[in-house]
Amino acid sequence: MSKHSALNTFGRSANPAFTRGFEANTQSLPLSEQMTLDGAVNKTGILLSLCFTGAIIGWNIPSLIIPAAITGFILAMVTIFRSKEKAGSTAPLYALAQGIALGGITLTYENQFDGIAIQAIGLTFGILASLLICYKSGLIKPTENLKLMVGAGIGGIFILYMVSFVMSFFGAGISLLSPTNGSLMSIGLSIGIVCIASLSLVLDFDYIEEGVEKGLPKYMEWYGAFSLMVTLVWLYLEILRLLSKIRSR
Amino acid sequence: MNSIIFGGLAVLSLFVFFNLGKVKASKKQTDRDNRINRFGKKKPDNIIEGESEEVIDEDK
Repeated sequence: MSKHSALNTFGRSANPAFTRGFEANTQSLPLSEQMTLDGAVNKTGILLSLCFTGAIIGWNIPSLIIPAAITGFILAMVTIFRSKEKAGSTAPLYALAQGIALGGITLTYENQFDGIAIQAIGLTFGILASLLICYKSGLIKPTENLKLMVGAGIGGIFILYMVSFVMSFFGAGISLLSPTNGSLMSIGLSIGIVCIASLSLVLDFDYIEEGVEKGLPKYMEWYGAFSLMVTLVWLYLEILRLLSKIRSR
Repeated sequence: MNSIIFGGLAVLSLFVFFNLGKVKASKKQTDRDNRINRFGKKKPDNIIEGESEEVIDEDK
């Protein structure tokens, strides 16, 4: 029996082990509609520019800190849980709102410690670039274990922040989180949080890289850039707090 | 001096990010068995390279 007649008689294999994973290929997007590294990096650039613009506004009008922070938080939740497809419109607004909040917060720190803002900006981008080099060269390899470790760390930090937030309603708080607490324990905690935030950057790089390899739709460029921005904003705030603790010693 | 050093670090880092970010990660990073699989299996390419071979029906 020839190969062709066998195929005609028995048909193509219906074994799911052979067909699974290839189903997605039938819906694969044209190259022009797939996300690219160029697109994700350029969109991160747009979000960073908007964040800097917002920071100038926030620096000059510090009273906008709380409304901008709340708006940014809501926009982040909408982007993450409601509409990844609309990240192209929510992510720029998020970057602008967070920029305004960061500008005001930075001014508050700068009034206490002269020159702290430029140190925090330099260190944040320094960590971004050095971890990107480590990731691209394969020096740091994101695995499921790393993802679990970072996830657990973020969960722990989130609980700590929430407890501190609730305690603040009763006039109390966790002194270790205070930006003016220069004890070694407090500085150690801040260094730990900065490490977790930095490792989150590596997971973001891997998310974008894998998205490009798997040919995800174009809007995921915005989502990838948004993920990077969220981590960068968090990292910047933690570095500001760490520097403030060190200067308080 | 403080501003020049940290300002320079920020500018240099951004330059590295915008250039290196557009480059694909090394094989050492991408060809691993223990990679995080977030989006399922990789889609196969539409173009299959190979040689064609004439099939002769021996039953005839």
